[in-house]
Amino acid sequence: MKEIILFGILVSTYFMVIAKRMPALIRSFGYQSFFLFLATFAIAWGEDQPELYIICGLLFIIKVSLIPYLLYRITNKIKAGQDLGLIINSQLSLFCALGFTYLAWIFSARLFSSLNQSLVSMPAVAFFMVLTGLFLMVSRITALAQVVGLLVMENGLFLLASTVSGGMPFFVEIAIFFDVFVSVVIMGFFVYRINKLFTHIDVGKLSNLKG
Amino acid sequence: MLDFLPQQIFQFDPLALFFLCVIFIVCLPSAIYSFGYLKGKYSSSKITLSWFLLVVFVLSMAAVVSVGNALIFLVAWEIMSLVSYFLVVFDTTHEKSIQAGMIYIIMTHIGTAFLVAAFLILYQQAHSFDFMAIKNACLVMPARTKDIVFLLLLAGFGTKAGIVPLHVWLPYAHPQAPSHISSIMSGVMIKTAIYGIIRFVIFLLGVNSSWWGILILILAVISCLAGIIYALMDRDIKRLLAYSSVENIGIILLGVGLAMLFISKRMPYLAVFSLIAGFYHLVNHAIFKGLLFLCAGSVYKATGTRDIEKLGGLIKKMPQTAVYFLLGAMAISALPPLNGFVSEWLTLQAFFLGAFNSTGGMKLFLGICAALLALTGGLAAACFVKGFGVSFLGLPRSHYAESAKEISLSMKLGMFFLSLLAVVFGLAASLIIKLLARVAGAAMNIDVSSMSFSLNNFTLSPQIGEGAYISAPLLGLWLIVLGAAGFAIYKLFGKRRRVYKTWDCGYYKLDARNEYTATAFSKPFRIAFSFFLLPYRKTQKIRESFYHVKSITYETYTTKVFKKYIYEPLLALVFRSAKSMRRLQPGSIHLYLGYIFVTLLLLVIFTR
Repeated sequence: MKEIILFGILVSTYFMVIAKRMPALIRSFGYQSFFLFLATFAIAWGEDQPELYIICGLLFIIKVSLIPYLLYRITNKIKAGQDLGLIINSQLSLFCALGFTYLAWIFSARLFSSLNQSLVSMPAVAFFMVLTGLFLMVSRITALAQVVGLLVMENGLFLLASTVSGGMPFFVEIAIFFDVFVSVVIMGFFVYRINKLFTHIDVGKLSNLKG
Repeated sequence: MLDFLPQQIFQFDPLALFFLCVIFIVCLPSAIYSFGYLKGKYSSSKITLSWFLLVVFVLSMAAVVSVGNALIFLVAWEIMSLVSYFLVVFDTTHEKSIQAGMIYIIMTHIGTAFLVAAFLILYQQAHSFDFMAIKNACLVMPARTKDIVFLLLLAGFGTKAGIVPLHVWLPYAHPQAPSHISSIMSGVMIKTAIYGIIRFVIFLLGVNSSWWGILILILAVISCLAGIIYALMDRDIKRLLAYSSVENIGIILLGVGLAMLFISKRMPYLAVFSLIAGFYHLVNHAIFKGLLFLCAGSVYKATGTRDIEKLGGLIKKMPQTAVYFLLGAMAISALPPLNGFVSEWLTLQAFFLGAFNSTGGMKLFLGICAALLALTGGLAAACFVKGFGVSFLGLPRSHYAESAKEISLSMKLGMFFLSLLAVVFGLAASLIIKLLARVAGAAMNIDVSSMSFSLNNFTLSPQIGEGAYISAPLLGLWLIVLGAAGFAIYKLFGKRRRVYKTWDCGYYKLDARNEYTATAFSKPFRIAFSFFLLPYRKTQKIRESFYHVKSITYETYTTKVFKKYIYEPLLALVFRSAKSMRRLQPGSIHLYLGYIFVTLLLLVIFTR
């Protein structure tokens, strides 16, 4: 069961890597968050921790529904074209992502070699998400893609925390949720402002501002 | 584990005490002087700040010369540098102060970087920063390491001392500080670098090859000549004095370098003698340069300008300052019976004795050095004839000089004290040499009890220098007798005094604009040393007819060779490399994220 959920996360992340347009990226992010919710729920079920259920609920509310909804709204609002602006095209990105998967696997196998095989896979997926998130930030031009990339990294960290230590302390988790939510709102607002000001959201153009 | 912590904090050996004395005898009159100098020039809060900085400055210098641990030495050294930087930029309203401070602080930190490197090597050898531990470790240190440490120390201390070509900061920084601070900086602070060279190279490291001394001698001779030639060209009275400090540091280093040479040649008597000469000139320079800076400060305070072309006739307006300046100028030009004469005579004597007692190329080298030192002395005299003559004699050249008034009592007191010392150190030379012999002996671990440097309490005579005698008191007496005789002859047979305007060659409308200027005075030297000064000039005439020139503009500059051919290319190189480094920072967010990403990937790949 757990493997299927992890597989879901993995596949939704691949979807994000090959996505060329904003709605596809956001939709895949929603899938990813949903699978993450499932994974957390499974852990909560297995360990029978009431706090984890609350976190699950928050995860569902914020990451699966609220953030994608907000991102959709911003995308529709700015109308600056929903193209992501790929620095690296989707085929090459997919190859990169496959490479990251392998790297993450090697890395986590090296780190958690004392654990058994099934436990290695979860941190591997988590590392993979962190790498891919950062990759998305580097290789996509638009500012919104960078917001999503950051969220993917955060998802990866969340998964890693819940795997390795059975979740971060409750209040930390809550605080992070809140942070992520607020940051999406703020970044969305910024992206909106940037769009109004420059009539595009190409981050590269920001370098014109330097002295 | 904690072996870098100091075991001995202070070390009051004769060397340290000697430098403490030098600090004291310059800082005391400067502090007294500053009462009058600061008053009316700065606000009261600024004066309080200046006192605070002065106290910290003096204490840090005292700490530099008296600590017994390299780490604490470095801390004190750095405090000294920083506080002196704040004092250089004390006149924050002047653009030039800020610029001078910038040059100073960059140069001084480059110097400190060399020192840090040298100290770390010493620490690696000794496993301790304590001087005694370092001294023991230096006995078994490989010669190559010693050479490297020596070069690092020379570069580090040389920057502070102002050895050519590391002197560039000195003519900027010293004139910009308030005058009593210039006097301390020039009189004492740059001497702490000499202390460093003696303490670390001679006392701790131990001289083991003769090229050390030769290198220092060559640098010192270059410093002497370059310093005094630049001083001769300058028309800012304080900058002139600053350049002259470069020259005098050269003379001091001649003594020190000779001492190092003689140690490596196993000639203890000559080594002690040379170091005495160096020490003597060190304390002398502290006295007369302190005095001259105080006088220059008085002139600046009274007239508001430091440009000697705008001064003139000050001897009538400020007679006392003029006398003090004249005394200082005579001392620095090595005229008997003042103190500068004694120390330069000793240095020359050390060269001659060294030349007599060595063979071959060394004989020639020492002879040439002695000749160049003599040339320096002559040029210094010319320089101060210019400095004194143009600013104090003749007619006032501008309204600045016309409105000058004699300065306040506390300033006079400070100058009086120092000029008294200049005379005393000239007349009591034999006694002082006996004291300095003990200091020099302690610095080099040589027993001096069997050596004698003076015939009696009045006449100096090196033990092995046959027929070389000098007695400053006797010379002074002769000067007085001869002067009195000349005066008597003049009184008896001279014509009656006639009061008339300044000699004007039959023209009747000569005014201050027809006076001999400093630029004109230094022109022969500009021509003689044109290979070094690379002067260029621009003349522009506006003619009404061929015979009638309506106006003429004459400009002349000299090229600062060290600045142009060493520092400017170096700076250009730094800026070029900085610009190419800037490509790493193009301002693209993707690239910055990419850096992080690549780092992360490498971490993931290479983590074990």
